Amino acid sequence: MSNVDALMDVIASARGARPASLSCPEAEDGMTISIALLVELAVANDRIDRLERMVAELRGMTPEALRETAPTPAEAEERRDANEALIVRVLHILFDPRKRIDGPAERAGAPPA
Amino acid sequence: MKVRDLDHELLPRVTQEDSSRQSAIVALRRLLNRHVRPHNIDHYEREGEPAFVARHGRKPQSPADVETALFASASYRRWSAVNRAVQEIIWLSVGEPIYRDQPRMRAAARRLADAPDRKGALHLDPDVIQPPGMADNDVHLQPGGYTMDRDADDIIAGSLYEAGGNVYSFGQGAGKADSKAGAVQRFLAEHHPDVRPARILEIGCSAGAASAAWAACWPEAEVHAIDVGAGMLRYAHARAEALGVPVIFHQMNGAHLTFPDGSFDLVISHNLLHEIGRGERKAMFREAARVARPGGLVIHQDIALRAQPSLVHAVEKRWDTRFNGEVYWTDYTDDDLVADMRAAGFDDGSLSEHDVPAIQGWGAWYILCGVRR
Repeated sequence: MSNVDALMDVIASARGARPASLSCPEAEDGMTISIALLVELAVANDRIDRLERMVAELRGMTPEALRETAPTPAEAEERRDANEALIVRVLHILFDPRKRIDGPAERAGAPPA
Repeated sequence: MKVRDLDHELLPRVTQEDSSRQSAIVALRRLLNRHVRPHNIDHYEREGEPAFVARHGRKPQSPADVETALFASASYRRWSAVNRAVQEIIWLSVGEPIYRDQPRMRAAARRLADAPDRKGALHLDPDVIQPPGMADNDVHLQPGGYTMDRDADDIIAGSLYEAGGNVYSFGQGAGKADSKAGAVQRFLAEHHPDVRPARILEIGCSAGAASAAWAACWPEAEVHAIDVGAGMLRYAHARAEALGVPVIFHQMNGAHLTFPDGSFDLVISHNLLHEIGRGERKAMFREAARVARPGGLVIHQDIALRAQPSLVHAVEKRWDTRFNGEVYWTDYTDDDLVADMRAAGFDDGSLSEHDVPAIQGWGAWYILCGVRR
């Protein structure tokens, strides 16, 4: 069985309702997704750690020394660009020029945000 | 015998990524329990109660008032949302490897259960009376619930219970060496050092971790363990066989035992009291007393939640009732269990209540002990 099928089976077997804690369902869903991403980040960090330890061993150095290997100025600039792009990808909604319209709050008579 | 930090054939084979995921959830829950949840009382006092007073013109008085006031605090709502989300992720993190590894696990369970040299036994009863709130409820949000039973080899309920229970308990601060059975065994050594039971009954054994620990503690004793969930019991039986300990498992309801009067020297339940309703619990108390022999011991162990310093603390602990499928939590925390034991046939001099420290890690366990006259 694939991981996706296994996950879908677990999800499909859950019963009952999901009581809300927050007054905004979208915010609660977003928080739930953020928690899952936090866990996946920890999983990815563990993978990086395993690789670092293997590379350090192959290079005859300690993992700490490998992690403290500073990038060259050119490499540092490359990483800055890459991280900025990552931030834009994640926070793209903050830069989106389009104005929000026709949300349920607006349709109920509230002024647009 | 250890109950949490051990290896056996019935556990799912996990990848490094599965382990990382579960470790991250344990770390997240330990942080929440140690550094976030303790501030809920402050949030109540600083945000919730003033908001309630402003709206209602009076202070919160009833448990329902206090719950309303707690949810008037944005900080409390945020904790509640995160805690629920993490509880759901626990089951994904353990369910993924369990479902993925089902063919091997099911085959192993069948082989262990049918082995010619098996030490224990399994007796299933499809007509067992299911207690209310169990078959139709995902207790602790365990997907499919404790009584999931989809076919004759289904062991999912037991698998999820053991793996999910470990992630949950470690996140609660339990040490890897912690053991509910161990805490009761230590209690017996301190308070009833002469007890040498020949026949032991565990009521509500779930995945059989404590049943196996009891069989290992007293190898000369005959250990019987009952539960209403067939999927739990198939897993528990195979698990006990994998560990090489003899336990006789029965699909049976603790409120309707079929054992003869006076047939056990020691009757135990672990974390059962908060999973069954008031009527079921009173009937179970009567049945446990009935099957204990004169001079025998009846011990019900559960979570040490019943003594809280204030109504606000008590209501804060009831979060699990609504958000974690623990529908009988309040019955357990609020009822007079000693009175119920008295009504089941124990006299005052034979009854005692204790909060005992965990074997390892944070927290404590509640013990209600009666000696059968």
